[in-house]
Amino acid sequence: MATIGLIWLCLVLFAAVAAPLIVPFDPLDIDPVNRLAEPGWPHLFGTDHYGRDTFSRSLYGARMTMFIGVGSVVFALATGGLIGMLSAYFIRLGNFLMRGIDVLMAFPALLLALVLMTLLERSVTNTIIVIGIVYATTTARILFGMTLKLKREVFIDAAICSGAGHSSILFRHILPNLISPLLVQASFIFAFAQLQAAALDFLGLGLPPEVPSWGNMLSESRIYVTRAPWLLIFPGLLIILSVFSMNMVGDAMRDSMDPRFKDDIAGV
Amino acid sequence: MSAAPLLQVEDLKTHFALGTARPFGSGRRVLKAVDGVSFSIRAGEVLSLVGESGCGKSTVGRTLTRLETASGGTARLDGREILSLSQSAFRPLRREIQMIFQDPFASLNPRLTIEQTLAEPLRIHGLAKNRTEARALIAETLQLVGLDPQVMERFPHEFSGGQRQRIGIARVMILKPRLVIADEAVSALDVSIQAQVLNLIKDLQRDSGVSMLFISHDLGVVRHVSDRVAVMYLGRIVEIGSRADIFERPSHPYTRLLLSSIPRIVPGRKRVEDLGEPANAASPPSGCAFHPRCKFATDICRSAQPLAQPLGNEHFSACHHIAELQKDHA
Repeated sequence: MATIGLIWLCLVLFAAVAAPLIVPFDPLDIDPVNRLAEPGWPHLFGTDHYGRDTFSRSLYGARMTMFIGVGSVVFALATGGLIGMLSAYFIRLGNFLMRGIDVLMAFPALLLALVLMTLLERSVTNTIIVIGIVYATTTARILFGMTLKLKREVFIDAAICSGAGHSSILFRHILPNLISPLLVQASFIFAFAQLQAAALDFLGLGLPPEVPSWGNMLSESRIYVTRAPWLLIFPGLLIILSVFSMNMVGDAMRDSMDPRFKDDIAGV
Repeated sequence: MSAAPLLQVEDLKTHFALGTARPFGSGRRVLKAVDGVSFSIRAGEVLSLVGESGCGKSTVGRTLTRLETASGGTARLDGREILSLSQSAFRPLRREIQMIFQDPFASLNPRLTIEQTLAEPLRIHGLAKNRTEARALIAETLQLVGLDPQVMERFPHEFSGGQRQRIGIARVMILKPRLVIADEAVSALDVSIQAQVLNLIKDLQRDSGVSMLFISHDLGVVRHVSDRVAVMYLGRIVEIGSRADIFERPSHPYTRLLLSSIPRIVPGRKRVEDLGEPANAASPPSGCAFHPRCKFATDICRSAQPLAQPLGNEHFSACHHIAELQKDHA
């Protein structure tokens, strides 16, 4: 399953990179004559209510998907990871910071994203930041626990005895031991960021409406569901397949990771 | 032997708060892991610290390396007080006090190669100008502890327990320290490996002239390595003296109990009677902490804490009945 998932993700990645070269139509070109055309030739996935080519928009959507996925993962791991690590290492600071994280975690993920999104204007960067914040909380929580455990390891005592300072202990001794859980966490955030982004788009709070993303395509076409079901089927299928693939790949990564960390991730 | 001591520890105390204060409780309970320990180590000398688990002997070592914070007392290294220094002021001095840890499987960072592990102390203390110089020093030290220098490319999981402990020793010796604290350095190893590593430690100590605080519960091992021996019970030293004094002329009832519990095949040998379990350090008995287990205990033992009594030749024993016991034993 993980192999199929990986192949699909490679396809999505290829589409994302090569979209401008391989699309048969400009995804923003309006063609009123051919609006709501059924899937066929030359519009493989049909056209939407403005006559825009759904296939081309799907390829550009892959681009957005990858962009938001990578952006959210980087943002969530960098901020959440740092907060979790520092909180556990400097426990006085941690008692303060982690209570803040607890408050954020008390909100359902989508609700938190909705609240944050209403405070900001719709843009790609803001979507990434908001989704990043949502998943930074879980990342911080996980790394907090693991760092608490790691800092009591004997090899940390040994490093202290060698004269290592705080930054050396944090980044040379603790961080390398957190790489496996971080990678696993990254794969899940990548998948959940898709769903979150699609949900935000669908609710009209995510990316600006003109941006061709899978979520926006769903959102715009929902009123045509009876007349042009392909407008929902194709982006919907793409989202399902991609999230499913990422979860499969993430599971495989988790299983192949250092067995020491298996138990620690299981609670996620 | 008359030289000024390298390390002078006086009235060392390390107390731990147990849990958090309860809302209507009577304040925090305190565990006195180390409660008024004094000893000195001369240059080139090996002092062993022996006692049962939980007596606080490891805490003494961890306090001297500032892994735990002392609650009181002083420790002078070459006349310089080290317990009151800030962590950052103490860092340059860490080179002089090094520690060998008990568990060789936990004391090496699994994500660092042997070279990275051994280069770290060199880098921190500025002992190598560049990587070539560091590698030369590492190779030299690895040979010193009986390992092939080529192993420096490998990760800890590729080694056996004995080899890992040799790497741990290399990490200590590469800094050319003046005091090594060996905290149960061989007790986690297979018995067949123990002797090898113990001999290595002893040889390195003799050849480099480093002072050593050898913390162990294994009297056979202690007898093999020490110049002097201190016996700890419940956070205090009950007897301290030369190896001969402790092993041939033990005076304190607890020392005698420990010595008689070494398993040996000697026909007709009697074990000293043990009247109970080690007491709980969180709620120590009144007076002499050993009195519930001591068959010589009298009223004074239950009420007053005994002070260290000199028995001559730097042999001290903290027991109220030391005079009678000495007579009795002679």
